[in-house]
Amino acid sequence: MEDFLNLILEPLKELFLKFKAFVPNLLAMLVILLIGFILARFIKLIVVKFLTAIKFDSWSDRMGFTTLMRKGGLWNKPSAILGGIVFWVVIIVTLMSGLNALQIPATDQLVGQFFSYIPRIFSAAMILIVGYVLSGFFSRAVLIAASNSGFHYAKILAEATHTLLMVLILAMVMEQLQIAPSIVLAAFSIIFGGIVIALAIAFGVGGIDTARRIIEREVTAKSEEETKDEIEHI
Amino acid sequence: MKSATFRTEVHEQLERIGQADIIVGIPSFNNARTIGHVVRAVQAGLAKYFPEHKAVIVNSDGGSSDGTIDVVHNTSIDDFNAILLHHRVEPVSKIAFPYSGIPGKGSAFRTVFEIAGALDAKACAVVDSDLRSITPEWIELLVKPVLVGGYDYVSPLYHRHKFDGTITNSIVYPLTRALYGKRVRQPIGGDFGFSGGLAQYYLTKDVWQTDVARFGIDIWMTTTAIANGFKVTQSFLGAKIHDAKDPGTDLSNMLFQVVSATFELMNTYADIWMPIRGSEPVPAFGFEYTVGLEQVNVNTTRMLNIFREGLRNLGEIWRDILGAGDFGEIERLGALADSDFHFPIGLWTRVVYDYALAFHKGKLPVEHLIKSMTPLYVGKTASFIIGAKDMGQQEAEAEIEKLCMEFENCKDYLISNWK
Repeated sequence: MEDFLNLILEPLKELFLKFKAFVPNLLAMLVILLIGFILARFIKLIVVKFLTAIKFDSWSDRMGFTTLMRKGGLWNKPSAILGGIVFWVVIIVTLMSGLNALQIPATDQLVGQFFSYIPRIFSAAMILIVGYVLSGFFSRAVLIAASNSGFHYAKILAEATHTLLMVLILAMVMEQLQIAPSIVLAAFSIIFGGIVIALAIAFGVGGIDTARRIIEREVTAKSEEETKDEIEHI
Repeated sequence: MKSATFRTEVHEQLERIGQADIIVGIPSFNNARTIGHVVRAVQAGLAKYFPEHKAVIVNSDGGSSDGTIDVVHNTSIDDFNAILLHHRVEPVSKIAFPYSGIPGKGSAFRTVFEIAGALDAKACAVVDSDLRSITPEWIELLVKPVLVGGYDYVSPLYHRHKFDGTITNSIVYPLTRALYGKRVRQPIGGDFGFSGGLAQYYLTKDVWQTDVARFGIDIWMTTTAIANGFKVTQSFLGAKIHDAKDPGTDLSNMLFQVVSATFELMNTYADIWMPIRGSEPVPAFGFEYTVGLEQVNVNTTRMLNIFREGLRNLGEIWRDILGAGDFGEIERLGALADSDFHFPIGLWTRVVYDYALAFHKGKLPVEHLIKSMTPLYVGKTASFIIGAKDMGQQEAEAEIEKLCMEFENCKDYLISNWK
């Protein structure tokens, strides 16, 4: 009978000992989560105040980020959204640290993978932000230069520039995040090559007359300009 | 502030000359075809009008590859008796060398200022090296108001075709006049006279690594002289005819250079121009005479097409800069037939002020901002050409005067939005 009771109690005792060893880890995780949550709120507050002070919202308006956010259904101020992103990043990092405190082998591996992935997320985000600003800059430069030359298709040219640059940047971002790199490379090559071939066919075969008309109009306009405009602007 | 470093041979020349009363600077870059005429005119002017003064001609060259400096060295007037009754007493020295610093007219002028300081010059003049209409009288008219009249700065007055100088007429002159209250008609004329003291004052300013050294020197010199209370005058030089410009020179680049330099100075001197209201005439020297001007051909249809393409493509940028009200007015203009096209002066004034405000607030990268103004400027120019087609020179000038008054009357709009 005693053996039988031992047979039942031993696992329970072992479970209790394991639970007793686990409770401090659980408490540590809860404390980490609580501190992390408070810290996240505090950092968010600081970030939003700092961004407001440096007029980040106006800068975002100028750079076209606000418009982009509106298109994506985000109606908060850019500074508030960035504050929110920072808040959630801190929460996720806290959660991972909390899980790490549990000292469970399965979660340990997950946490390790997460932290080794963070630099990639960061560099991908940087590529995306800088790339978006640069593509906006270059497409606007193309728009203004083409429009000032009296080129009728300036807007299309600028939009094409923007799209091509964004395709290139998104491919770089995906490559950085290592999301199906071979598929991304293949898709990028197909899209980029496809666009070039489509343009070549459009101008070379399908739109040969249109292309001729455009070129003739440009050449005529240029020769008119050279022969007729004699104003000295300065 | 770091001073320009002269080459050894220039130092030696300066030491040999010792002191000079007058310095005439000629900035150049590949002007071998025209600079000979300019040097001869300057030599004759100095010989004829300042025979008792020690004078130096300084050719500050931007690294020409066509032998510009050789032309300057080899140019001299063989027979002064053909020009003058009396031969000059003091000989004219010539210094020609490549300047150091970032490439641009401003760096060339900086060297002239440095030499004026080294030689303790009383009066200086600078003239463009591509001038075809320069006469010896230009030197008298640019130098004498300084040397005899006690003025610090002499701005040129030219007779130009009514359609020429449109950036000056529709932006730089009205804006400078409204801001600083002085009616300097050609603030970016390019040929100026100034005192040795003002040359040294220019050197105290730390602008020689900026766009002033590259392309903004003309408006910078004029504005700096006016805003800092130097005695300013004007001299009538007659017609300004110069070598044909490079056809590849892009209008929007030209507009960017001139307008960005003007707007930058608005930032620098905001405290000075804000309290000023109205404007006063600036005294003028020289005998005004009528000049026969060549016909100027203009294609207004093409200009209006550029304006309409601008409206179609740059509408969003314009709306952001001008606001919905004035942009609506611009849209209305875009729908007008060529013959009815008229850009109201009130609207144009607000356009220029709104762009100045956008520049001040950094709404867009500077080059994009100013270049996006090109179709608006082209539209305004086309409107002026259509309206002034049958006008005489004086009537056209009266139109520019109306525009200037509008700039002065609307100045409160600029001030109230300037934060």
